Amino acid sequence: MRVALFVTCLVDQMWPSVGVSTLEVLRRVGCTVEFDERQTCCGQPAFNTGYSAEARQLAERFIQMCEESEAEAIVSPSGSCTAMVHHYPALFDNAGDAQENHEWRRRARAVAERTFELSSFLVRVLKIDDVGARWPGRVTWHDACHALRDLNVHSEPRRLIGNVREAEFVELDNADSCCGFGGTFSVKYPEISVAILDQKIEAIEKAGVQAVVSGDASCLMQIGGRLSRKGSNVRAMHLAELLASR
Amino acid sequence: MAARESILRSIREHLVASAPHDVVHAEKGDEQSELTLDIGHPNGDRLSASVGVQNDGARSLIEVFGANLEAVGGHCIVARSEAEVIEALNGIIASLQDSPLRGRTIALSNAPLLERLMARVETRVDEIAVSPSAAELFDYDVGISTAQAAIAETGTLMIDSEAERHRLVSLVPPAHIAIVDAANIRLTLGETLATASQGPELSPTITFITGPSRTADIELTLAIGVHGPQELYVVVNEGPPLTNS
Amino acid sequence: MSHLTTETFDSNARAALVDTQLRGALRNATSLFGKRRLAAARGLENWEDLRTQARAIKDDVLLHLDRYLEEFVSNAEQRGAKVHWARDASEANQIVCDLARQQGVRNVVKSKSMVTEEIHLNDALQASGMEVIETDLGEYIIQLAGEAPSHIIVPAIHKTKGQIAELFTAKLGIEPTDDVDKLTSVARNVLRQRFANADLGISGVNFAVAETGTILILENEGNVRLTTSLPKVHIALMGIEKILPRFVDLDVFLKLLPRSGTGQQLTTYQSLITGTKRRPEDEGPEQLHIVLLDNGRSRMLAHPTTRQALACIRCGACLNACPVYQQIGGHAYGSVYPGPIGAVITPQLIGLGKASQLPYASSLCGACREVCPVKIDIPELLLHLRAEITDRKQEQEQAGGRRQEQAGGRRQEQEAGGSFKKRTGERFAFRLFAAVMTRPRTYEFSVKVGRLLQRSIVRRGKIGRVGGMLAQLAPPLGAWTNARDMRPIAESTFREQWRAGLRDDTDPGSDT
Ligand code: SF4
Repeated sequence: MRVALFVTCLVDQMWPSVGVSTLEVLRRVGCTVEFDERQTCCGQPAFNTGYSAEARQLAERFIQMCEESEAEAIVSPSGSCTAMVHHYPALFDNAGDAQENHEWRRRARAVAERTFELSSFLVRVLKIDDVGARWPGRVTWHDACHALRDLNVHSEPRRLIGNVREAEFVELDNADSCCGFGGTFSVKYPEISVAILDQKIEAIEKAGVQAVVSGDASCLMQIGGRLSRKGSNVRAMHLAELLASR
Repeated sequence: MAARESILRSIREHLVASAPHDVVHAEKGDEQSELTLDIGHPNGDRLSASVGVQNDGARSLIEVFGANLEAVGGHCIVARSEAEVIEALNGIIASLQDSPLRGRTIALSNAPLLERLMARVETRVDEIAVSPSAAELFDYDVGISTAQAAIAETGTLMIDSEAERHRLVSLVPPAHIAIVDAANIRLTLGETLATASQGPELSPTITFITGPSRTADIELTLAIGVHGPQELYVVVNEGPPLTNS
Repeated sequence: MSHLTTETFDSNARAALVDTQLRGALRNATSLFGKRRLAAARGLENWEDLRTQARAIKDDVLLHLDRYLEEFVSNAEQRGAKVHWARDASEANQIVCDLARQQGVRNVVKSKSMVTEEIHLNDALQASGMEVIETDLGEYIIQLAGEAPSHIIVPAIHKTKGQIAELFTAKLGIEPTDDVDKLTSVARNVLRQRFANADLGISGVNFAVAETGTILILENEGNVRLTTSLPKVHIALMGIEKILPRFVDLDVFLKLLPRSGTGQQLTTYQSLITGTKRRPEDEGPEQLHIVLLDNGRSRMLAHPTTRQALACIRCGACLNACPVYQQIGGHAYGSVYPGPIGAVITPQLIGLGKASQLPYASSLCGACREVCPVKIDIPELLLHLRAEITDRKQEQEQAGGRRQEQAGGRRQEQEAGGSFKKRTGERFAFRLFAAVMTRPRTYEFSVKVGRLLQRSIVRRGKIGRVGGMLAQLAPPLGAWTNARDMRPIAESTFREQWRAGLRDDTDPGSDT
């Protein structure tokens, strides 16, 4: 299948190995992967902080870019950026001309329909839940909120992890509760953000794992940043990285 | 009147203002359902994973009612005749007398049945009053009423102010005993609500009671009997109906 | 820390975070209620259908609110109730105080009602010379303590039994005890006396049925029944959104509300009150007054997104599910309505200007939406309000600038100008962000600049705590690194690696 990779700006700058791993996994399962170098950010930070005009600018750009691609699917190693693309129609609610907005919403929906988060693309679209990965160690999973609640991603990553050779999976007590990141929330209310985070860290420590895996680089920066500050040996790892290892 | 008119006007004006946005929103609703159809409902699965509604098919309404009532701390006693109802009252009052709740003074609602039954209760009590005034009621140990209906799936009693003066007898004394005919037990809340609203006019007060009064306001510790009764006994009469007489 | 305001949410929250006793209590309460809710919801096989149905009923009500209100009023009045309309808090207080005065009321008993707290009815009644007693145990405790409720369902969740015992010892003269049953029975006895003497009972309303004119009130303790049965006058206050069309609609909501709130199948008591008693010798009050309060609600009808907040049945489930509420509790919100629903209702009731922090006090995790029995999309609403705030900011920035010119250097204006400055910074940052992100080359260039700039602070592959000048120059950096390490910009970005050969490397087995 022909796939357009949307790595997200965060992965591009801060965590390129996640993008490299995603690419590798997609190629391993037989996809032809293209990467449009014009891609930057989906606009989520602006949208979530209330700057919809700015978010709209980026959305229009993203939509146009995707329309030019003939890929059957747009795949991203991020639940929240994928969810943002699925939110695009909401950006064209009432600003400006009604007819024009209607048209944008239609285009936005068309793009959203072929945009997938990595694990759901593998499991739901390709029907593959074993990518031939091998990783010796005990791992747990953190459900990133937008993947979980906006995209209904829950069983997919668990099935994929369950098939990683030599990996022992343990469920986290509070797998589905927020890590406290929340975009600008994490720096607008850092104390609350870290208080929420510490509950997650507590559960991770209790689980006695070598790695905590998730599908969103943003959550992993939050969790990993705290683990690292606390001198923990637990590694914050993206699902793509786990699936790429063999 | 000015307030009424201006509130209604404000409601109408704002609803009109909303109309263009409503169109967009409706469109979004469609799209969302499509979307979830496409990608399945794993999250829904997560929530309903262990849906395990107990199958009540095999159990009788009385059993279901009794189990749910006991689950909220009430007591259910099944009687098969008027004589057994009296025996049950006897037993309840006697056991209350052995407890800190005393059970020596009894207040009855004005349901005529109750006076008749109490006349045949052998346990000695200090006083039986029919429908005492609100001020007097605070001194009674036990309140007895009938109930016009019961809901099996929740262990709930329904008392109707047109049938008897129930509001305070069932609430103020530390123990409440209610008599309900088995024939008036319905399975669901929905059926009971439908029955209640069947008459030409609703009664001024319909009260649903599910277990004794409770609170968890202090450190989430359950405390029973905060403003209402500490003990709730329900005598279910399986014999010929009593309460409609 | 009794009456905090929404304007100081930031510092309120920080104060709450260092209160270990509070956080322990919150953790217990929210997780207990969360578990009970889940168990109760799972006990019904058609939970999701019920939620959908409930929301559809509420949507219908809200879209025809004028009609349903009129139907309700005409049916309630036909049955002997007297209905009053109040545009805002002061009108509602006036109505209640006038009624009380006409009836020569001295002693008022109240059962828990959020609406009366919203309008500060107790203060108004006390100012009119009446004694007002809250009779719900939790409300009674915080009234004695002179505090505000911290949870919709468990108002005194922030207090330990030890603190309550001390309070009772000081105010009621009891022997110190930490036995919850004893404390409860002390309150019962004191309040019974109050009930016996009360000449006015004030309650809220959970649901009002248009078809029959019925009001329904739920409770566990029995104080609502006493409040609405004993005094000769009963005044019920309700927001205009509490209407349900048909009597049988109660079925859906009575299934959802207790299960979502406390995990009960039903609360202990439901009082369904339809007008006044028919015969003088019957039990119950002689007069029933129902006050319909708007106070900003009708404004929320103007958009489907804001309108959903009026579907709320005040179950408290979203509070328990909210990671932010779980950490800071209700007081920090400085509003009667805390938690996620408070963060979207409060700004709409008191104005975005006064509560502009609240819509940002959320990580947008969506847990509230997942548990809400009427499927309110609170994150959508938060985003909607955030967008309104940034719009408003723009407006004010212009207006503020103009005003400042006119008014010279008056202190008030300077303060206002100060807060604008910060927002101007944010707006500028996001404009810049959009400008960079719409231009891939500029984006790449800025990544390179960032890589250069970060050199001085990257140690062993990470950025530790950034303080001093740098933190002042880039506040988010300071805020992040205070308790978390940061990942630096990578030596080689994904797109650089793509160009450097990833693009052509099509061997699926290759190692990276
Ligand atoms: S918003 Fe929903 S969950 Fe929150 S209190 Fe209202 S009804 Fe309950």
